[in-house]
Amino acid sequence: MFDFLIQGFGVALTPLNLGLAFLGALLGTLFGALPGIGPINGIAILMPLAYTLGLPAESALILLAGIYTGSEYGGRMSSILLNVPGDAGAVMTTLDGHPLAKKGLAGPALGLSAVSSFIGATIAIIGLTLFAPLLAEVAVMFGPAEFFALMVFAFSSMSVMMGKDPVKTAIGAVLGVLLATVGVDSGTGVMRYTFGMPELYDGIDFVVMIIGLFAISEILLMLEHANRKNADDEIPPLGRVFVSLKEVLYCKGAIWRSGVLGFIIGILPGTGASVAGAVSYTTEKRLSDKDGTFGKGDMRGLAAPEAANNASAAGSFVPMLTLGIPGSGTTAVLLGALMLYNITPGPMMFTERPEVAGGLIASLYIGNIVLLALNLPLAGVFARVLTIPRWVLVPAIAILAFVGVYQLHSDLTAIYLMLIIGVFGYLLRKLGFSLAPVILGYVLGGLMEQNLRRALSISGGDIDILWQSGISLGLWIAAAALLVLPWLVPKLLSKKPREEPQQD
Amino acid sequence: MKINTAIRHASGIALLGGALLAGQVQAAGESECIAPAKPGGGYDLTCRLAANGLLETGLIDEPMMVTYMPGGIGAVAYNHVNGVRTDDPNLIVAASTGAAVNLALGKFGQYDADEVRWLGALGVDYGAIVVNADAPWQSLDELMADLKDNPGEIAFGAGGTVGSQDWMKAALTAKSGDINPRDLRYVAFEGGGEALAALLGDHIQVFTGDLSELKSQLESGKIRVLAALSEERMGGPYADIPTAMEQGYDVEWPIWRGYYMGPEVDDEAYYTWVQRLTELSESEKFAELRQARGLFPMSRFGNEFDSYVKDQVADFKSLAEEVGLK
Amino acid sequence: MSNIQKPVADRLLGIVLIGLAAFVAVQAIQLDVPFSYEPVGPKAFPLGLSILLAGLSLVLIFKPGADGHWPNRALSIRLLVVLGLLLVYALLFTRLGFVPTSVLVVAALARLFDATWTKALITGVLMSACSYVLFTEGLGIGLPTGTWLAAIT
Repeated sequence: MFDFLIQGFGVALTPLNLGLAFLGALLGTLFGALPGIGPINGIAILMPLAYTLGLPAESALILLAGIYTGSEYGGRMSSILLNVPGDAGAVMTTLDGHPLAKKGLAGPALGLSAVSSFIGATIAIIGLTLFAPLLAEVAVMFGPAEFFALMVFAFSSMSVMMGKDPVKTAIGAVLGVLLATVGVDSGTGVMRYTFGMPELYDGIDFVVMIIGLFAISEILLMLEHANRKNADDEIPPLGRVFVSLKEVLYCKGAIWRSGVLGFIIGILPGTGASVAGAVSYTTEKRLSDKDGTFGKGDMRGLAAPEAANNASAAGSFVPMLTLGIPGSGTTAVLLGALMLYNITPGPMMFTERPEVAGGLIASLYIGNIVLLALNLPLAGVFARVLTIPRWVLVPAIAILAFVGVYQLHSDLTAIYLMLIIGVFGYLLRKLGFSLAPVILGYVLGGLMEQNLRRALSISGGDIDILWQSGISLGLWIAAAALLVLPWLVPKLLSKKPREEPQQD
Repeated sequence: MKINTAIRHASGIALLGGALLAGQVQAAGESECIAPAKPGGGYDLTCRLAANGLLETGLIDEPMMVTYMPGGIGAVAYNHVNGVRTDDPNLIVAASTGAAVNLALGKFGQYDADEVRWLGALGVDYGAIVVNADAPWQSLDELMADLKDNPGEIAFGAGGTVGSQDWMKAALTAKSGDINPRDLRYVAFEGGGEALAALLGDHIQVFTGDLSELKSQLESGKIRVLAALSEERMGGPYADIPTAMEQGYDVEWPIWRGYYMGPEVDDEAYYTWVQRLTELSESEKFAELRQARGLFPMSRFGNEFDSYVKDQVADFKSLAEEVGLK
Repeated sequence: MSNIQKPVADRLLGIVLIGLAAFVAVQAIQLDVPFSYEPVGPKAFPLGLSILLAGLSLVLIFKPGADGHWPNRALSIRLLVVLGLLLVYALLFTRLGFVPTSVLVVAALARLFDATWTKALITGVLMSACSYVLFTEGLGIGLPTGTWLAAIT
């Protein structure tokens, strides 16, 4: 049954392919660590090169998969160190990762995120090996109605982030959803809020959003901090470099749960690492945040999104390998790479080209180990980024932000947009908003609207379709439970304080 | 100090590795192809088809540079070529049937199809009417009969919005069976992959996709292609698929992949490129490349192609007016 | 600058957001849909959101939170200078080219963040040159060389 995997390891363990896995992991980490520049860039550059060099299909795929998984590792670095997400999946990593770094725990935070990434990805790769064909069947059961229910669930799980200022959290999310409506409406082809600018037809690019909101506003905030001369704003001390086993064990529940959750979200076509990170973070906060430490530098709040986004990266291979349907933007590019080699991924790939399918899966195992080995010892080196003085760091962030956005379109409009969004982000932060709900609203809102409208076009306006299937019904109940239970359970408990066994 | 050295070392190594790797690709060639999309999409492949083909057959000496200019479903690149680089003799831009549809609908702003110099097409794909293998319809006739009785009961889906080329396939098919396209039930997805997934999960009943993206699904027997929207039957894995024409429905949907140049490019440069592409399309090596990308042969170049595109745009315009899109 | 007794910021924000909600709603109503198959259409979501936003803004106006720390005049000027610098960076990015613009902007930014002039200049030159090489050669990302250079050669 697992002949393809044994054959795959035979392929992946040749010196050339091992070297390529290593190179891919290294380059991927670099691409992922630079804000705005992600795996798609890396793959788009190396794809033709691999082809020109005449690498065989499985070697090329191993290199590209290394870049893909590596960049998910890289994305967390600037999240933790600079409070600027390195890629879409790493947005939630800023929430607890950066506070940890501010506490002087940058080294352990980087180490912990590497370990969580490793475990999350491993869970997903094992899931991929064992259940890929089965999961593909489940993935296609998600139609527009089910996706809509999933988004409702995701939004209600966000209610946990309401925290001390629920009104502002809600406003942030609404603003995020509004930003997602800019562009050509995919249902009707009508332009919404584009003001006649073709640059806005495709909507506001996610990269422009996160770089503007996080990087530009961070520059402005740093200027304030630099001027205030408060002791607590000074460069934090560099504490320990390595994460301790105790800390990893403390997060093991978060890592397991988020790894599985991230994998499941990853296999659904159309939802990627950003959704996985968001849902796992809010779920974990709901489950474990008894003392309100999430958002202030809780290790579990860092481990959860990191395990989830790596798991979802591996999970998105499931629909690509088994159905030939890309589960994310990056796997779409990988799919293109395979086409170059005249390989059409799909149900037949495991039987027709087992060396490619097996080699790829084996290289995911190997690449993941390489990445852990690469990232753990380097945590201390990278943590030293924090000791770089502000007058070097700020211009560096500015350059990264400009290049990251410029390379999207080779065009200045995106840069102006980034600056506008940056000022907007700065004002929001000064007004006591958290940026995460804005990003979540942006990511989830678009999916929610499109899928609701698709579902209702299928049914011709009959809203029963939204809860007809078991999956959507389950998600609706879960969403309702998330909203009602936190309010209901304390009331029930206070009525009969002793008799009720502990719930939740 | 230590840190700086460490960083310098680290970046030095990264640079060395990177430079070795990227050096060859980036060696800026004389010629350039703009893919009006993000890397990895259909336009990227269209550019690479020309870039790799021309280089491998020795029709150009230096590698052709591929630049990405996403935005406005191709409008940003179209405006760029019409506004900024109007006479660049070394610049070609990838285009397809989708671009022609958008031009017809006036989505490219102030410029229309007459502005640029249409160069030629190197390959073509065809639309297909696809249903799930478990679906009750064995032929296009059966589907159309059912559709006529209650068009609102059968959900069509594809990767583009109303007015896109994906939608045109559904609308034209309906029209060929005397069904008003406005009576259809049509669901727009984000890309053909999502629509295909929805078909496999029985969320939609009919998927109007492209032949080449169906290859692996065909082999696995999970879908049934009721009709290919081509002039004649295609070979290889598609040999058993009847065309819509032979089933008595007058609908064809070729999705060509070609190129255009700026409006003020002189005749010399234009005909040099026409010559290059014509020679390329005749070489055997190129046939392999084209096939690897799942494209069927199409050779229309120069003025013939120019008028072909302009006719097509005019046709789409009248169709759009007919269904009340404009 | 900041008003300690009465929370102004949130009220002001609430008013601005209601304006935004009105703008969003008006734009949505004006959308012209030629024909569509869907029962929901492109207007429903923006309209619903604008109503939600307006409601939330009202809450903000009537129950505002405390004002945060707002920058004083000197700092505000510096913030505007940084923003101006970033705008200059954007304006000159393609015209002057990546390297010269970056030298200027990096040096100025470094100076603003309290580096000495020498340090700022060295940072500017080194960082611009290194990042140019890293991005173009290492990562294969095309950066503008500047239109003036293209005009000469």
